[in-house]
Amino acid sequence: MLVPIFTLKLNHKINPRMVTVGKFDGVHPCLTAATQAGKVFIHNPHTRGKRQTAHRLSQSTQDSDITLLNINQAVSCLAAGTLGPNTTGDTLLVGSQTNLLAYDVHDNADIFYREVADGANAIVLGKLGNIQSPLAIIGGNCALQGFDFEGNDQFWTVTGDNVRSMVLCDFTGDGKNELLVGSEDFDIRVFKEDELVSEMAENETVTSLCHMHGSRFGYALANGTVGVYDRTARYWRIKSKNHAMSIHAFDLNGDGVVELITGWSNGKIDARSDRTGEVIFKDNFSSSVAGVVEGDYRMDGQVQLICTSVEGEVRGYLPASKEMKGNLMDTSVEQDLVRELSQRKQNLLLELRNYEENNKAVPGASEGETQMGVIPANTQLQTALSVRAATESQRAHIELSISTPNETIIRAVLIFAEGIFEGESHVVHPSAQTLSGCICVPIIPPKDIPVDLHIKAFVGGRTSTQFHVFEITRQLPRFSMYDLHVDPSTPQPKGRVTFSINDRPQRVVMWLNQNFLLPEGINNPNVTFTALRGEGLLSISMRSSGEITLNTDDIDLAGDLVQSLATFLAIEDLQAEADFPAYFEELRVTLTEVDEFHSVHQKLTAAMADHSSHIRNMLVQAEDARLMGDFKTMKKRYIELYDLNRDLINEYKIRSNNHNALLTRLKAVNQAIQRAGRLRVGKPKNQVITACREAIKNNNINALFKIMRAGTASS
Amino acid sequence: MELNLKHVDYLQVGVTSPKTMKLLPAVGRKATQKVAVADHDGVVNCFGMKKGEAVPVFRSLPGQKISRLELGGALGTPQEKIFVCSGSEVRGYTKKGKQFLSFEANLTESINAMRVSGADLFVCASYIYNHYCDCKDQDYFLSGDKINDMVCLPVETVGRTVPVLACQDRVLRILQGSELLYDFEISGPPSVLELHNRDGGKDGEEVLYGTADGKLGLVQLTRSAPVPKWEVDNEKKKGGVLCIDTFDILGDGVKDILVGRDDGTVEIYGLDNSNEPTLRFESVLTESVTSIQGGCVGKESYDEVVTATYTGWVSGLTTEPQQMEAGPGDEVKMSRETQAKVAALRAELEQLQVKVMQGREKYQQSSQSSTAVSAVPVFSINDRFTLCQEDASYSLTLEVQTAIDNLLLQSDVPIDLLDVDKNSAVVSFSECDSEPNGNFLLATYRCQANTTRLELKVRSIEGQYGTLQAYVTPRLQPKTCQVRQYQIKPLSLHQRIHSIDHGRPTNTLRLVGQFSFAEIHSWVVFCLPEVPEKTPAGENITFYFQNTFLGTQLEASYCKGEGNFKSDNISTISILKDVLSKEATKRKINLNISYEVNEDSVSHTLKMIHPKLEYQLLLAKKVQLIDALKELQVHEGNADFLIPEYRNILDDSARLLEEYKKQPAHLERLYGMITDLFIDKFKFKGQNVKTKVSQLLEILDNYDLNSLVDFFNDA
Repeated sequence: MLVPIFTLKLNHKINPRMVTVGKFDGVHPCLTAATQAGKVFIHNPHTRGKRQTAHRLSQSTQDSDITLLNINQAVSCLAAGTLGPNTTGDTLLVGSQTNLLAYDVHDNADIFYREVADGANAIVLGKLGNIQSPLAIIGGNCALQGFDFEGNDQFWTVTGDNVRSMVLCDFTGDGKNELLVGSEDFDIRVFKEDELVSEMAENETVTSLCHMHGSRFGYALANGTVGVYDRTARYWRIKSKNHAMSIHAFDLNGDGVVELITGWSNGKIDARSDRTGEVIFKDNFSSSVAGVVEGDYRMDGQVQLICTSVEGEVRGYLPASKEMKGNLMDTSVEQDLVRELSQRKQNLLLELRNYEENNKAVPGASEGETQMGVIPANTQLQTALSVRAATESQRAHIELSISTPNETIIRAVLIFAEGIFEGESHVVHPSAQTLSGCICVPIIPPKDIPVDLHIKAFVGGRTSTQFHVFEITRQLPRFSMYDLHVDPSTPQPKGRVTFSINDRPQRVVMWLNQNFLLPEGINNPNVTFTALRGEGLLSISMRSSGEITLNTDDIDLAGDLVQSLATFLAIEDLQAEADFPAYFEELRVTLTEVDEFHSVHQKLTAAMADHSSHIRNMLVQAEDARLMGDFKTMKKRYIELYDLNRDLINEYKIRSNNHNALLTRLKAVNQAIQRAGRLRVGKPKNQVITACREAIKNNNINALFKIMRAGTASS
Repeated sequence: MELNLKHVDYLQVGVTSPKTMKLLPAVGRKATQKVAVADHDGVVNCFGMKKGEAVPVFRSLPGQKISRLELGGALGTPQEKIFVCSGSEVRGYTKKGKQFLSFEANLTESINAMRVSGADLFVCASYIYNHYCDCKDQDYFLSGDKINDMVCLPVETVGRTVPVLACQDRVLRILQGSELLYDFEISGPPSVLELHNRDGGKDGEEVLYGTADGKLGLVQLTRSAPVPKWEVDNEKKKGGVLCIDTFDILGDGVKDILVGRDDGTVEIYGLDNSNEPTLRFESVLTESVTSIQGGCVGKESYDEVVTATYTGWVSGLTTEPQQMEAGPGDEVKMSRETQAKVAALRAELEQLQVKVMQGREKYQQSSQSSTAVSAVPVFSINDRFTLCQEDASYSLTLEVQTAIDNLLLQSDVPIDLLDVDKNSAVVSFSECDSEPNGNFLLATYRCQANTTRLELKVRSIEGQYGTLQAYVTPRLQPKTCQVRQYQIKPLSLHQRIHSIDHGRPTNTLRLVGQFSFAEIHSWVVFCLPEVPEKTPAGENITFYFQNTFLGTQLEASYCKGEGNFKSDNISTISILKDVLSKEATKRKINLNISYEVNEDSVSHTLKMIHPKLEYQLLLAKKVQLIDALKELQVHEGNADFLIPEYRNILDDSARLLEEYKKQPAHLERLYGMITDLFIDKFKFKGQNVKTKVSQLLEILDNYDLNSLVDFFNDA
């Protein structure tokens, strides 16, 4: 049994996912974590009592090993590592919703302090692609930004939604690092510098990513899933009812291959084999795990796994020695094996008994048999998917109808599917009076994703207490919420995207049949649908020249269609022309609003500065009056001060509202760039994104729209 | 003394009932003991251990499920004859496996408790106790509630036959012949009885009892009256007691008490100098422990605790130290015996696999035929649905022989499903439309591999009644699921007690009409938990109940044509009135309902709630402060500047948080009950005060007992 080699109680709370280890003097590793009240603490047990208090640093009075760093803002992410070329120790990077601070703990000095409009939800430090110097890359609202040691903005790109997790690893195997980004739109994206090379769709917000080895990486989702990918293929995953707080790769059993260490919200730590996900070690904290890191904390040349809990408990584990033979848990391998085999034997025996008893059964039901839920052996379940337009009583939906061919009834239907229900399952359980052999389940997928529906239907007699379980898997195509029935009075969509392909129309027809829910196959690539989720039409037309036009007002849908078609036809680069008048108008308004909010922001900041100097004056005056014994004036001054304070608070509220509004607008702008990119594939896509950024930097709005339409900046 | 016991598996048989495994007395000196175990397949299995291998002594033929196994023999000789009961039959086997007795007790119900003493045989079916001597009827007794277990004081020491019945209505009934000598009241429903020290102690009068709510006690049953010795409370909310044995496993010359519980806990209590029990060892198995015995099975001269579990695993917790053979290779070397065992098992598995494949194929083929039927035998589920007194919620435990795949919970009454830490299954709530299908709760539990036992917690609301259904699907081919139903009764939070405080102001509900005793009894069964389904003997009956949440009480006394219900809680009376009149209308019985409302009772109930409410409010307030205080502490470096009250909160924070977490929504429930009380009070006056509820909630927000009482009086 593996036991911790050290345990610390730090008496400071630790914010989840904001834990790191840094060698700030180049030698001694220090556990660094964000704590309450906008502070970061640095635990340095190595050089006791040699530090003085200055600038941001202050000694904690509770524990002499701990120094506190005042950030005065809620910390949102934290990292430590080598940033500058000639620094002795690691640089500490602290991100908040508005700023990024690079700090030299050893010299007690700020290296740079940058305002970041998109916030910093996640941070990584390291080399990316061909960029020479190491970068501190922060992920904010739809944007990624990389700074070098001087605080220069070296890297920028946009992504689909708010970034929640990032990791640098050599995904493509070319010897250079790619950036993996997990975001709130459930996607893991891989950036080779600013080029998007891969996208993996998950079914929840990606909260953590970690590099395992080679091109293998671990991930964690907000719904309690953890797993391992190798490139774009998922190796394994498991789901727990708890949430994974932090994941880390560490070779705990000493076999030369790292395991995925997961810290859970219920305080559990487990280590899983990277190949199978099998648990090889587990331990428990009394409170939720905050972070899992590694470092040579005892300075003896061996790296330990360091786990921290939100209550400030820290445990260090050494990798298992050879004697333990990879057996880290307190169990006997032999016994487990025997037990497992016996269990399997028991299961087989039970199954065999089921068949034997089944053979004895004869038609003609007695009392006991109706309880057992005897059904004709040839009962087969029929399922059908169809699109249903909205009626007065029901929203537009896809209808899954399940029926039995005989007098048996369906007691209940369970559908397990990812990403389309509130939980992971949907249940239909008719009341006892309305039992029948046919059940219709309305399904409304919230977005266009292909879904596997795992259907379990309980089939039996009306009075049965035991039912046969039929298990069927049906696939819901990606664009299922589109109906071929078109109301002629619906106005034609104004938005469109046009591109050319070198493929036969039949291939496009194949794509249509695979990705849309069509009652019977079609053989013509020119089709028009009614979009059931939003409103309006979607029409697809293809000319003999290979030019395809998608008409829709929904730019997201157009992007999805382009990407899906390109993947299907294996197109690497695709240029497209697009026009979405309504959306572009909206964007134009947003851009002017951004300007307005910016100027308001500046005004408010100036006012704030003004007020604070007033306060200083007033306080001095009031204290003077007190010393002079002039209580009347003192009282007056303090009342004024109180009023001013109230004003300040009000102003602060305005300021923060303004800031939030600004953030949503900026996010919309970033999203617009991303959407414009998604209408193209490969190189043209990256060109559009870079050109758009350039246009925004130069505040050239007309150029921006031109790029979005034409796909290029020039001409 | 530290007790270190190692877990060893011996054998797996079929599903076992409680108390169906015994150790046969050792033959000769120092030899190991044989194990006799009986299962639901009706097989009696007797085996010994030789070099880690289970060597069968005999195995009886399968038959009806066996509910008890006892040892017997002529008085004064080793008790080595094996007696089992299945259905209403008792069979006897010699230690060699020769059947020497088959006795049909001719009871209408199957036997669920049995004892053998010399030529005397005692059996109990649900309400009936029967005593046979040499298979001839001797005595007979009809108990007021279900008999869970029975024991006889040893004839050798006591000199007469004293049967003791453990009855569900929280009473031990001590008989003399066919008459009740006296009864002994205990706080929980007793589930198991055992003689202390296996012989009843010095005077042979000491009996150990375990209750379904997890308590353990010792009582001396003298000739005239019971003398309670001690009782161990179930503070940690462990499972109910299923089996008890006494054996000196600690080796200190005093026999220890071994306890097996239905949540898989195995406990060893040692008795200290003052004969008070203290917990010395605890271990948790994955499934309920149905039988426990102290003895020596695995290896000579090493004592152990032998357990049998629900799914039929017979295993030992042995004092034998386990040596791990650590060879130079990478794999842990297995002992030769284990290797042989594994090889044998694998060979057996392969054979079985072939057979199962054949069975599967045949089953598949039968689906082509139009006349064949598919009938899968009913699998066994061990389930319990019990009210927890501490937090006034129901706990539902389900245990299946094989791993559970998923569980669907459906309820037609509003109930809350609470999270249980022990439970690792992923729960998902499905949206449910209460209108056409009458569903208020639809939840699925997807279980992790190897989960054979599930524990859930459900919180009900008094007055809302209906059925909770659980559909259990095990991982067994062909897949079937079984539904279990649990009644949520109108007064679901009430529990039977032995006596009530007659000094409280009470409200009375009086029913008069043309109904039989059986009819009114069935209504009471419908309304209240823990009432025996059988109509009690005699002309009239009185039951006492307590509300587990509020501590208010209810007295129900009724006979043919008349019923009186008294309670200090007006809401209880109101619920009863509604339900009873509805039930009577359903059966077209004309009821004359009259009630007496005591105004004092309302303020009395409020005063009863007061300390709970005040405590909860204070707790909530304190918990709210903890974070802020901690932040101050970090900011200022210490907590010395705080007032003592706040410092206490900081010091106690861990305990406060723990307590707060333990009682989720406690305050809301109290508010709900006060609101009900308010509405019900005026309902009896014929006023509808629903419009004033918001005012009431306002008063509750600024709680003060006097203003609340005033509001109740004035409104």
